[in-house]
Amino acid sequence: MTPKSFQQIDKFARDLPKEVRATVYDGSKSTSEKRYDSIWRDYPETADVLRETAGKVKQHTLEHLDQYLEQAEKSLTAAGAKVHFASTGDRANEIALKLMQERGVKKMVKSKSMVTEETHLVPYLEKAGIECVETDLGEFIVQIDHDHPSHIVKPIMHKNRRQIAKSFEREGLGDYNDDPETITRRARVHLRKKYFEADCGVTGANFVSAESGRMVLITNEGNARFCMAATKLHIAIIGIEKLVPRDQDLSLFLNLIGRSGTGQQLTVYQQFINGPKTPGQPDGPEEMHVIFVDNKRTEVLASECKEILRCIRCGACLNVCPIYRQASGHAYRSVYPGPVGAVLSPLLAGDKFPELADLPKASSLCGACNEVCPVNIPIPDLLLCLRDKGKREGAKNASAGTPPMGMYAMMASQPSAWKAAMRLGYAVNITPQAMMNVVPAAQAWTSVRQLPKWRGGKFRDWMGEHDKDAK
Amino acid sequence: MNTLDRQVPASKSIQLMATCLCDAFFDDVAKATVQVLEWAGCNVEFPEGQTCCGQPAFNAGDWKASRQVVRHVMDVFQGEKPVVVPSGSCAAMGFHGALLEFEKEPDLPQVKQLASRTWELTDYLVNGLGIEKIPGKVSARVSFHRSCHSRGTCTGPSAVKLLSSIEGIELLPFGEQEQCCGFGGAFSVSFPNISKKMGELKIEHVLADNPDILASVDMGCLLHLGGIIDKSGREIPRKHVAQIIRDALVEAGEIKE
Amino acid sequence: MSDDRSEIFSRIKGALEPLPERTPLPDYARDLPLCTVHPDFPNAWELFAHKSKQVNGTPLKGLAELAKWLIADGQTHGYCDPALVDKVRALPEFNGITLETEFDRTRFDDFTFGITKAAGVIAETGTLILKDQSTSSRLGALAPWVHAAIVDEADVYPDVRTAIENFGDDPSIIWATGPSKTADVEGILIEGVHGPGIQIVCLDA
Repeated sequence: MTPKSFQQIDKFARDLPKEVRATVYDGSKSTSEKRYDSIWRDYPETADVLRETAGKVKQHTLEHLDQYLEQAEKSLTAAGAKVHFASTGDRANEIALKLMQERGVKKMVKSKSMVTEETHLVPYLEKAGIECVETDLGEFIVQIDHDHPSHIVKPIMHKNRRQIAKSFEREGLGDYNDDPETITRRARVHLRKKYFEADCGVTGANFVSAESGRMVLITNEGNARFCMAATKLHIAIIGIEKLVPRDQDLSLFLNLIGRSGTGQQLTVYQQFINGPKTPGQPDGPEEMHVIFVDNKRTEVLASECKEILRCIRCGACLNVCPIYRQASGHAYRSVYPGPVGAVLSPLLAGDKFPELADLPKASSLCGACNEVCPVNIPIPDLLLCLRDKGKREGAKNASAGTPPMGMYAMMASQPSAWKAAMRLGYAVNITPQAMMNVVPAAQAWTSVRQLPKWRGGKFRDWMGEHDKDAK
Repeated sequence: MNTLDRQVPASKSIQLMATCLCDAFFDDVAKATVQVLEWAGCNVEFPEGQTCCGQPAFNAGDWKASRQVVRHVMDVFQGEKPVVVPSGSCAAMGFHGALLEFEKEPDLPQVKQLASRTWELTDYLVNGLGIEKIPGKVSARVSFHRSCHSRGTCTGPSAVKLLSSIEGIELLPFGEQEQCCGFGGAFSVSFPNISKKMGELKIEHVLADNPDILASVDMGCLLHLGGIIDKSGREIPRKHVAQIIRDALVEAGEIKE
Repeated sequence: MSDDRSEIFSRIKGALEPLPERTPLPDYARDLPLCTVHPDFPNAWELFAHKSKQVNGTPLKGLAELAKWLIADGQTHGYCDPALVDKVRALPEFNGITLETEFDRTRFDDFTFGITKAAGVIAETGTLILKDQSTSSRLGALAPWVHAAIVDEADVYPDVRTAIENFGDDPSIIWATGPSKTADVEGILIEGVHGPGIQIVCLDA
């Protein structure tokens, strides 16, 4: 019997096509295993020290964010970049569009950036008549399918090669061929033309060193490099939480992010950029603009869940999460899925928090996410904090299916009532299943599992006798 | 986990928190806990007024309700004696969860005091009392499910140490051993589909080894896993680690049944 | 707009102001992130070569080896840094290979390989370092299927931290650890997505 669903994420998981679940499950499990092997192979003694230290560096940075953001602004300006600030996602889009329009940009190539997913940059620019091309292979496939990424590192975790081959065929990128190498080569040829035609490259950044202003761009494919080699204008759109204090701190983060995300010692390409191309260099941007975006990050900073801003978007918590593995990323109805998303998305929703207040419920609180987090974010604690917030704010979708706790608390703080209930509980042993099903929680329990025999008070009786014998 | 530093307790006089699940369903687990602790030389006090640790409401997000229960726990478990719990998850509620929900409450110091003397049973046996070896023999192939609430605590290694010290026990490694069983308290009823899938996956891995016993230090996990196993008509005995230790001690003639 | 700037800073200050104390910057050992789990090698280049091969990089010793590799692979037409071209052309092994010193982006498909200078390598990770000031053409080092970077023995850095300490004032530094790759399609590793499918680092010994 398929249990009734109360929660949207549970429902989504229940209705997920088997094939998609298998793809997501296998992909996240194998990536998780690679992470485990690489980090414990290379740091058999100090893996956790490394995570904890990195977490403290990020926490320190966040708690001195005004200071570091100002320093980054100065360093970038001194190196020849132009710095902009955007308090909202809309403002970030406006600034980017204005920069492009002033320079007559018609085509833009873009490397993967989660913050631009938040701000919906691409549809915004397209509406203004600018052609936008996602160049990360996964993001490119998402774009041609008019889909959404389901994973922050592997955007098409939910798709298999056959679906991709069909999309390529539909887009005129050759006859149906589902060989991953052929798919990749065809994308290479197609996107190569796009780079050379484009006037502008848009990127995010994984880190920004306040000390030097160097932003770090990390990719495996080299698409961000191509954006920075073929175009004349570079616009980097960066969340204000991406800062780290010093260049040397990057030695911690670079060693962690590759291993945590994909099990690589280092991701293939790390670009450290703090200005336009050097004089004499024939290729690359003559102008570099950095847009630092708030988009509710300062609200998160003021909340009890500020630790979530440490996140370096490696995806390790998604891969290890048993709920993500069953539900896939789209179940989370937001840009950031998985455990990090269950915390971050409702917070970034601002006034619309109640709409996503069910996300923090999608966890068995197993703690695996905290165990793998390269910056040691106490995700289960933050999920609990947001559950309390959801309850206080009366978010309906959050409480769906959760048994009310008022009666429980009353009984559990009155021993006589509690003990009486222990005796009365024997009724369960003789209650027909049909009657049990009147209570939703009981139905949800018994649709999946049997209850053992009720033995309420038996231990108390034994203990009483036992104490008498001892005396 | 944000756990407090604990001192090795000076006295072997302890308070037992039997847990609501043992109160309602698993009386033999609580009984075995008393027997094992007494064998270890403890004087076990069972405060009669005890009910539940407050975790159901805490995990459900109703912190106000949960605090009401935790305040009752503080009333019942007064003094300086270690509070020993045969459950990793109830113990973690005491030394971690309660601290979170009382962060802004005036009685936080009392919560901290209780947290600092709350121990999960196997952790207490190994790290509180220094026990390393359980006499006696239990001939069984055991799959030990390390419940998630003992992540980052001393419980997992302690339970494994005690189990593997028993003659005749073979601990079976199984696939995805670190993964959650899907119980998660209220999660098991509000996300029944995902919870079921997680439980079935765990059972599939466990059954692949065809063990004699599925063991845990948390009856919550075993309630859920056992419930799925029973519903499917398969058979595999479930035991709390305290019951296995007790069986070994009985076999050795150290204690009576 | 400057309004956004002042708004953001004032929100940050407002968020941080109530904190009773702030987390200090941890003082961690310089070698904390150093990865030392690998066999012993007589020198840093050998460690680099070992690590590079682990990620399917192609370490070579000497320009003559590079020429042999290119010929064996059927590479006959490529880009070469003008500052290197005389030295390269002087080697008889390069006979039969056409080298252009300007990367013409309108004919980007004509260049099947590119030879440029490396700013260094990192032994600990098998990483090639490119700096904008010493790379003659970003495209020449990126667009061709094969990229060969020529590195001096003096520029072999032991580890990531040392390489960072030697950033200097370059506005665009690239670390490349092995060839371009993706695992986006069903987690299957495919090399040569947008960047080079073959990444050679040649020690100019």
